[in-house]
Amino acid sequence: MTTAEPQRVELPPPGRGRHEAGLPTPLVGMLLFIASEVMFFGGLFAAYFNARAAHAGAWHPPEGGELDMPLAAVLTAILVSSSFTMQFGVAAIRRGDQRGLRMWVGLTLVLGVLFLLGQLYDYSRLGFGIGDGIFGTTFYTLTGFHGAHVFGGAVGLTIMLARALQGQFSTANHVAVEAVSIYWHFVDVVWIALFTTIYILR
Amino acid sequence: MATTTLNPRAETYQRSWVLDWLTTVDHKKIGILYIVNSFFFFFAAGILALVIRSELAVPGLQFLDEATYNQAFTMHGTIMIFLFIVPVLSGFANYIVPLMLGAPDMAFPRINALSFWLLPVGGLLIFSGYLFGGAAAEGWTGYNPLTQAKYSPGPGTDLWLIGLTLVGTASILGSINFIATIFKMRAPGMTLFRMPIFVWTVLVTAVLILLATPVFTAGLIALFIDRNYGGSFFDPNVGGSPILWQHIFWFFGHPEVYIVILPAMGVVSEVLPVFSRKPLFGYRAFVFATVGIGLLSFSVWAHHMFTTGFVFLPFFSFMTALIAVPTGVKFFNWMATMWRGKLSLTTPMLFALGFLSMFLIGGLSGVMLSSPAVDFHLQDTYFVVAHLHYVFFGGSVFGVFAATYYWFPKMTGRKLNEGLGKVHFWMHFIGFNLAFFPMHQLGISGMPRRVADYSPDAGWTVLNSMSTAGAFLIAASIFPFLINVVATFINGERAGDDPWEGNTLEWATSSPPPPYNFDRLPPIHSERPLFFLTHGHGHAADRPADVDETPEDDVERRGGAE
Amino acid sequence: MTDATVGYLVIGIAIVFVLGLVFALSSREGRLQQARPTPPPGVHLPSGSFLPVVLAIGAALLGAGFAFRPQGAIANLFLAVPGFVVLVGSIFAWVRAAGREWRESEHAADDDAAGH
Repeated sequence: MTTAEPQRVELPPPGRGRHEAGLPTPLVGMLLFIASEVMFFGGLFAAYFNARAAHAGAWHPPEGGELDMPLAAVLTAILVSSSFTMQFGVAAIRRGDQRGLRMWVGLTLVLGVLFLLGQLYDYSRLGFGIGDGIFGTTFYTLTGFHGAHVFGGAVGLTIMLARALQGQFSTANHVAVEAVSIYWHFVDVVWIALFTTIYILR
Repeated sequence: MATTTLNPRAETYQRSWVLDWLTTVDHKKIGILYIVNSFFFFFAAGILALVIRSELAVPGLQFLDEATYNQAFTMHGTIMIFLFIVPVLSGFANYIVPLMLGAPDMAFPRINALSFWLLPVGGLLIFSGYLFGGAAAEGWTGYNPLTQAKYSPGPGTDLWLIGLTLVGTASILGSINFIATIFKMRAPGMTLFRMPIFVWTVLVTAVLILLATPVFTAGLIALFIDRNYGGSFFDPNVGGSPILWQHIFWFFGHPEVYIVILPAMGVVSEVLPVFSRKPLFGYRAFVFATVGIGLLSFSVWAHHMFTTGFVFLPFFSFMTALIAVPTGVKFFNWMATMWRGKLSLTTPMLFALGFLSMFLIGGLSGVMLSSPAVDFHLQDTYFVVAHLHYVFFGGSVFGVFAATYYWFPKMTGRKLNEGLGKVHFWMHFIGFNLAFFPMHQLGISGMPRRVADYSPDAGWTVLNSMSTAGAFLIAASIFPFLINVVATFINGERAGDDPWEGNTLEWATSSPPPPYNFDRLPPIHSERPLFFLTHGHGHAADRPADVDETPEDDVERRGGAE
Repeated sequence: MTDATVGYLVIGIAIVFVLGLVFALSSREGRLQQARPTPPPGVHLPSGSFLPVVLAIGAALLGAGFAFRPQGAIANLFLAVPGFVVLVGSIFAWVRAAGREWRESEHAADDDAAGH
C-alpha cells in the first residue's frame, strides 16, 4: 500500500474538454456507419465488375429487356437536386431559419419519394427480372439495395421533418439534421456511381 | 450547475434482476452478457467438437452419417468463430475499454445493448436449422456451388445466411461504438499514444470489422438471392462464378482472423507487463505493428485460394509472408518485456505464456502455408486444421482465459482460486497440444479435412486416436474452471480495487466499479497512469510519457513504497 | 406431422416457456435498496430500455420470415410482416426516446450556460 495520498483529479465539468473538440459524436457515428455502407456496396460492385469482366462483349440485358437511359437520367437529376435541397436545409438551420429548414427538408423528402416511385416505375417496364441471368441479378441487386437505402433515408427525412415542424432544432442544436444530410449525400453519391457504371460505362 | 443527471425515472428500489439485465445499457453489464452468452455457445460448439472427434477416433462410421457429420463441423466452425470468439473478446472490450479510457460508458449505450441482443437471436436462428430438416452443412466457408439451393435444399443454409447477417450487423454496430468511444471519450490527458495497448488492438479490430464485415454481408445476401430468387451470382450454369464467392468470402475472412487475434494480443500485452513488473517494451512499435497488421490483413486474402488456379501467386504469397513481420516485432517486444523482469506465474500469466508459445507454432505453420509450393500439397488437409486451431485456440482462446482470470476480480470483486486455475491451465495446455499437434503430421501424410471417415489402411488411426484423447482432455479441463467460477461466486477471496498492482485505469476504481465508473481519475501523463499514481513521487508523475523505465527503478520504487 | 410443423411447435413452446419465465421472475417484488450511488456532476447515464431487445426480436422475426420462405413467395409473411412492424416501430420509438433524452440533457446545459 502506498503511504502518501495519491493525487487525484476531479472529473471535468460538462461542456468542456472532450466533447467540444472535433466533430460531434453523433456525426462521428454517422460517418463510420457510412464507411461500412460504402464497403457493403463495394462488395456488390465487386460482384458486378467480376461478372461484367467475365462476360465482356456479351454484357447486356436479357432478351426482350432494355435499359431505360432517359428515365435513369431523370432519376439522377431528381436525386442530385435533392442533395442540393438537403444542403440548403442544413444551411438554413445553421443560421436559425426554421421555416427554411422545414421547406427544404420537405422538398428533399418529396424528391426522394419521386425517385423511389420512378425507380419502381422503371422496374415495372424493364422486361427482365432478378432471376433472368447474371445481368438481371446484378442489376436488380445493386439498384434494389440502393433503393432500400433511399427508403431508409426517406424515413430519416420524415422524422427530421416532423421534428422540424415541432420546432425542435436550433442553430446550436441540429446535429441530427447534419447527420441525415450526410447520409443523404452518401445515397446520392452511390447512385451517381451506379448510374455511371450501369448506364454509361455499360 | 447541472446536478447529477441520473435519469429521474430510475427507481431507488431494486427492480427484479431479470428486467435489470434485459434493459441494461451499462457497458459493464452488457460486457458480462456478451461473455456469458459466448461461453454458452462455446460449450455448444465444443460438444460438437467432441462429436466430431468421437467419430474420427477410429476408422469406420460409428455414430454419424456423412450428412450429420457435415452439419457438425459446419456448425462447430460457425458457432466458434461468430458466436464465441469474436463476441467474447467484444465483451471484454466492452467492459474494459471505457474503464481504461476513464470514460463513464460507451459513446452509444443503447446501440451497445442492441449489438448484444442480436447475438443470441442470431445464434438461435443459425442453430434452429437442426429443427427444420438439418442445419447448414457446407463448412463455415460456405463454398459454392455446394451452398446453392439445388445441392443444399431446405432452410438450414438460409437460416445460416440470415443468422450471420444479424450477427454481422451486430458486429458492425459494435465497431462504430468502439471507434467513436475511443476517439471521443478519452479522459483528459489521455492522448492516443497514452492509451493501453489493449485499447489500440480493439481500435484496429473495430476498423477491420467496420470495413470487412459489410463485404461478407453483401456476399451472404447475394447467396440468399441465388438460393431463393433465382439469382445468378455464383452459379456458373447461368453466368455466375463460384470463385467470386471465394473472393468475397475471403476478402472478409482474412481480416476476420485478425479480428479474432488482435484483441487477444492486446490482452497479452496488458497481462505480461503486470506480471513481469516491467513496462511493455516498445510501446510505439506495438502500436505501429498493430496498425500495420490491420492494413496488411486486407491484402492477403487469396492465400486461401492458391489452388484455384485463378490467383496471382507471387503477390499474395509475398504479402502473407510480410504480415509475419509486424507479428514478429510483437513477439520480440513481449519477450523483451519479460526479460529481466520479476515474473509471477499467476494463472493469467500462465495463459499469456501459453498464448505466446502456441501462437508461435500457429504462426509458423501459417508462414509455411504462405508458400504456394507447400500450400499446393497441404491445402484442405489436416495441416490447415492444425494451423487454424493453433492460432484460434492456442492464440485467441488462451488470450480469452488470460483475460478471464485477469479481469474476473475487477468484474466481480472476487479472485478466482489460483490452485484450480493452474489445474485448468495445465489440463488445457496438455490436452490442446495432444489434440492438435498430431494434426500437422496427419495433414502432411495426406489426410483431407472435412471427411467423416478414413481408411484403416491409411496409417492415420493412431494419430487420430491421440487427437481424440486430447479433445476429451480439453473438455475435462473445463470442469476445474467451472467449479472455480461457481465456488468463487459463493465464497471466493475478496479482491480490492487493484489486486494485481496493475498499470491501467480500470484498477483505479472499485471492484466492481460503480455504474458511472469513476468518482475521480488520476492525472494521466503516460500509458501507465495507475503505476505513477501508486508509485509516483511528484516528479515521476510529471515525467514525459516516452521515457522508458529500467527494471531497477521499478524494484526500488516498489520497495520504497512498502 | 412434418419436420417443419414439429419445428414450429418446438419453437413456439420454447418462446412461451421463456416468456412465462421472464414474466414470473420479473413480477417478483424487488428489495428496497438505498439510493444508487450518484455520478459526479455532468455525467449523464441513460436509463435502461426495452427497445434493444424488442428491436432484435423484430429483426429476427423478419429474417426468419425470409429464411422460411414458402415456394413462390417472397417471404413467409406471417413472420416477416410482424417482424417488420416491430422493427420499424421500435426504431421510431428509439429515435423519439433518444431525442427526448438529448433535449433534456441539452436544456440542462443551456440552463447552465444561462445561469452563469
